[in-house]
Amino acid sequence: MKRRDFIRRALCASASSALFTGFAGKLALAHAAAGSGRQLLGNSYRALVCVYLYGGNDAFNMLVPRSTAEYNQYAAARGTLALPAASLLPLNPAVVPIGGASFGLNPAMPLLRDLFNQAQSPLAIAANVGPLLYPISKAEYEAGSVPVPKQLFSHSDQSVTWLQTRADASDRRGWGGRLADMFHASNANQQLSMNISIDGENVFQAGDEVFPYFVGENGAEGVDAVQPWNADRRAAFLALRDALHGNALQRQYASVMRRSMNNEAMINDALDAETALATPFPDTRLGRQLRMIARLINVRGTLQMQRQIFYVGLGGFDTHDNQLGTQAEQLAELDAALAAFHAATVEMSVANAVTTFTASEFGRTTSVNGDGTDHGWGSHHLIMGGAVNGRRIYGIPPNLSVEGPDDAGWGQIIPTTSVDQYAATIARWYGVPPGDMSTVFPNLGRFATPDLGFMASS
Amino acid sequence: MKILFARLSLAATLLAFSSTTWAGDHVFDSSFDDHAEGPWSDADAARFLTQATFGPTLDEIARLRRMGYNAWLADQAALPASHERPYMESQEAAGLDVYQNSRQEAWWLHAINGPDQLRQRVAFAFSELFVVSDQNGDIEGQPIATAAYYDLLVDNAFGNYRSLLEQVTLSPVMGHYLSMFKNRKPDALENIRPDENYAREIMQLFSVGLLRLNADGTLLMSAGQPVPTYNQDTIRGFAHVFTGWNWANCLVDGGGQWWEWEWCPPGPVDWPEPGWNASWFLPMQAWESYHASAEAKQLLDYPGVILPAGMLAGGGSAASDLAAALDNIFQHPNVGPFIARHLIKRLVTSNPSPAYIGRVAATFANNGLGVRGDLGATVRAVLMDAEARQLPSLASNAGKLREPLLRQSHLWRAMHAASNDGRYREWYADYYLGQAALRSPTVFNFFLPDYSPPGELSSLGLSAPEFQITTDTTVASVANALDSKTFWAWRGNPWMDPEDVVIDLDAELAFASDAVRLIDRYDLLFMSRTMSSSMFDILVSHVQGMDNADADDRRQRVQDAIWLIQTSPEYAIER
Repeated sequence: MKRRDFIRRALCASASSALFTGFAGKLALAHAAAGSGRQLLGNSYRALVCVYLYGGNDAFNMLVPRSTAEYNQYAAARGTLALPAASLLPLNPAVVPIGGASFGLNPAMPLLRDLFNQAQSPLAIAANVGPLLYPISKAEYEAGSVPVPKQLFSHSDQSVTWLQTRADASDRRGWGGRLADMFHASNANQQLSMNISIDGENVFQAGDEVFPYFVGENGAEGVDAVQPWNADRRAAFLALRDALHGNALQRQYASVMRRSMNNEAMINDALDAETALATPFPDTRLGRQLRMIARLINVRGTLQMQRQIFYVGLGGFDTHDNQLGTQAEQLAELDAALAAFHAATVEMSVANAVTTFTASEFGRTTSVNGDGTDHGWGSHHLIMGGAVNGRRIYGIPPNLSVEGPDDAGWGQIIPTTSVDQYAATIARWYGVPPGDMSTVFPNLGRFATPDLGFMASS
Repeated sequence: MKILFARLSLAATLLAFSSTTWAGDHVFDSSFDDHAEGPWSDADAARFLTQATFGPTLDEIARLRRMGYNAWLADQAALPASHERPYMESQEAAGLDVYQNSRQEAWWLHAINGPDQLRQRVAFAFSELFVVSDQNGDIEGQPIATAAYYDLLVDNAFGNYRSLLEQVTLSPVMGHYLSMFKNRKPDALENIRPDENYAREIMQLFSVGLLRLNADGTLLMSAGQPVPTYNQDTIRGFAHVFTGWNWANCLVDGGGQWWEWEWCPPGPVDWPEPGWNASWFLPMQAWESYHASAEAKQLLDYPGVILPAGMLAGGGSAASDLAAALDNIFQHPNVGPFIARHLIKRLVTSNPSPAYIGRVAATFANNGLGVRGDLGATVRAVLMDAEARQLPSLASNAGKLREPLLRQSHLWRAMHAASNDGRYREWYADYYLGQAALRSPTVFNFFLPDYSPPGELSSLGLSAPEFQITTDTTVASVANALDSKTFWAWRGNPWMDPEDVVIDLDAELAFASDAVRLIDRYDLLFMSRTMSSSMFDILVSHVQGMDNADADDRRQRVQDAIWLIQTSPEYAIER
C-alpha cells in the first residue's frame, strides 16, 4: 500500500469514529495528510453539482435544430411532437457547431437561453452524450461487431451506467465517489462527508471510501427526543445505538443513525449563523434543493470544506405520455432553478469554483408513440459555471432523420460522445492530475478526444 | 428460557428489584396444547405475526397459539377481503371530499384493524411489485380508482399469478401509469410506433427480470457471463401486443372511427354526474382497428417455450395476442424464483439462501396439485419454510430492515391506536416515513430489491433494500415520527383533538412499576424475544431510574420504553 493510500484510509477510519469531533483534531489530521498528498491543491474552493433528471430527459426537444434542412429532419421524425420552428429560442453560439446547423432551446427555457447567449457565457451544451464501451457506428451496432453497454434502454441499469461512467463495471460506485476518494483529504473537516446529496441515495456519489451524506431541502434533521434536556433518555438511546452489534445490518443502521446525529448539529449550527443570500430561488422541488446547496456553499468556511460534490434530482422526465405539456413544465422548473443557482454563485463570488452539470439515464426516441416518446440512448446535456467555456455546443450534434446514420432503430440515437469523455472533462478541471485520469476513467483511452474542451484550464 | 433466567438474575442482582408476577407472563408458555407445526412459544407466534401481519398484538399471539399455524393460515385465507373502494365511496356518499388522503385512511384502517391481516400484508407486498403511484398526475385525480387497483391486489393475494397479471395489465390505472392505455399500432407515415413502456416494465419488474435465473434464483451463467432474458426485439414484440386498448364501454356510434378512439369518455354520462368515470373501474376494452395484428411478434424465448422460438404469428386479435403474451411470460422459468425472491424479501429476510428461494419457487411451479402460479400456496411456502420459522443467529446477518410504514403500523397495532370516530387521518406518512401505500416516486418502488449500501454490507455481498430510503434525514425523521406517535399522540392527552389517532396506554400502566416485567412484555410484543441481554439491561436500568409516583410517571416509563425500543438497531433489524 502506498503511503498516500495508508493515510487516506487512516483518515477514513477517524472520520467514521463517533469520538472524533473537535476541529483541532480535524486540522491535525489534515496537516498529517498535507505532507503526503498531491491532491491537496492549495486554497481554492471547488465544487461540482450533479443535476439528475430522472426518467430520461428528451433533450431532442430541449435543443432543437433551427436551420431548415436539420429542422425538417427533426420535424419528420417527431411528427405531432415537433416544436414549431418559430417557438424555439434562438442560440447564438460563438463557434459554429460541428455540422453547421443552428439551434434553439425549448421555449420553456428563456433564462438559460440568456445565459448561453451572453458574453462570458457560463453555459455550454454537450451534444449527444451517452454510455458507450467503444466508439460505435450504426453499421457496427447493427452487425454487433462492437460491444455496447449491458441493458441499454433500461432506466435502472442506464442510470447506474451513466453515473459509474464505466459501462462495463457493476460495482455501483460513481465517478463523484471516486473523485471524493481522491480528494476528501483536502478538507480540514474530516467528519462531514465531501459528498452531500439533497435527493437521497444515488450511485454518482458512492465511492469505495467516501459515502454521501444526505440532507433535506431545509437542512439536516435531528432526533428530537434525545436533546440534551433529557440526559437519561439520551444516554440510554446512545447506549443502545453504540452497543457492539452482532449483525451487519444492525451495525449499518447504527452507523447511519450515528452519522446523522453527529453531522446534524454541525450543519444546522453553520446554517443558523449564515449571512443570508439575497438571490431568490423558485419555490419548486429543484429550486429548494439548489437553494440548500447554495446555502451549504455559503457556509463552506464554517464547515471547513475545500472540495465538495453535490447531488440534486428532479423526477418526471419519463414522458411516454403527454410529453409536450409535461416536459415544458419540467424544463421550466430546470430553467428557473439553474439560473437562480448560477446567480447565487455569482453573489457568493464562487461562480468560477462551482460547476453544475446535468445527467439523465438516456435520451428519448426521435420516433413517437402517439403523444410521447420511449427510451433512447444518446442525449444532450448542460454544463454551467464560471469556469465553463460557454456559448458553445460541443461534440457532434446527431442526424435526427428517420433511419438516418445515427438512428440505431426506432429513433434511438447512437451517442457520438461517451459519458466517460463528458465526465473526464469536468474531472480534469476539478483537479484530477493527468496521471490519475485512467484510474478514475479506465475506458477513457478508447475515445479519441479525452477532453471535450468545455472547461477552462484548472 | 436460559437467557430469560440469566436476565432475571442479572437484573435482580444489579437492581435488587422485587417482582412477584412477572414470570407468569410466559414461563408457562408450554402449558398451551402445542400444535404439531407450532408455534411452540409466544416468541415463535410473535415472530410469525411480524412476518405475516402489520404487527403482532398480545391477543393475536394468544389466538395463533390456540389455533396453530395451519388453522390460522386457513382462517386467514377464508376471511372476506377488506376493500378500500367501499370505504371511500361511503365517504363520498356522506358528502366528504374524497382525495388520495381518503385512500391512505382506508389503507391504515385495514392495516391496523383488518381481520384479513395476511391478505392485506401480501397485497402490500404486491403493491411494491406491481407498482402504480398517485404521484402520477392522471392517477392522483382518481383516488377511488387507485383504491380499486389496490383492492385488485387484495383480491388476488391468494389467487393465481396468471390471473393477477392479466387483471393488472388491463387495469386502466396501470394503463395510465405505464401508458398501455390508448397505445396504438404503428403508423409508418406519421413515424408512430407502439409505446414500449408497459412492454419493458412488465418483464423487467413484474415477472422475469433482466437476467436468466436458475430455479433457485441464482444467475444462470453461460461462458462466465449472465444471460439476458430478452432484448430490444422482445420489447418491441410485446409493445405491439399491448396495443388497441381503450376505456370499457366506449360508445362506438361511428363504428370505431379515430375520433371515437381519441375522444371516447371514461363513462356514459358527463362529469360530474355519478358514473362519469365508470370505466376507471372496468378492465380496458380491445379496439381491433388500433391493435397491431398483422405483425409477427417476438416474445420471450426460453427452454420449453411453446411458441416456436418465442415468435407469435401475426393475425391475432388484441385479446388473443394478449392472452398468448401473458401465457408466454407466465411459463417463463424465471417467474417462480423472481416472485419467490420478492415475497421472501418483503415478508421475511433480505438475504435468503438459494435453497429457500428454490423451495418457494418449486411451490410456485407446482402447488402439489399440478397448478402453476398458486399465490396462496406460494405465500404459505414463504412463511412455513424452515428458514423463515427458525430464528437465525446474529452472526448469519440474516433479517431485514423494517420498512418505515411497518414500524408505525406495529406501534399502532400493539397499542390499539384509534381516533374517536375510528378514522385514520394519516394522510402524509410519506413526509416523515419516506413511504406511503401506492405513493412510490417511480415504478421502481421505494427501493430496489438488490440495493446494497456502500460500506460493510456491500463488501459482505449483502443486499438491504430498505436502506435505500434510510438516509441521514429519514433515519431521524422516522425516529421523530415515532416520537410524536408515542410521547404525544396518546389517549388522554388533553392537547390532542378527537380526530387524532392516539395510542391507548391504559392497559400498559399496570406494568410500568415493574421495569423488568415491562421490558419483558415489550421484548415479546416488539421483538419476538430477540432482545439481547445487554439491551434488556439498559432498558430496565433506564426505566428503573425514572419516577414512579403517579400515573403520569408510569405513562412516561411506558413511552420511554416503547420509543427506545422502536428506534434501536436491534429492533430496526427484524430477525
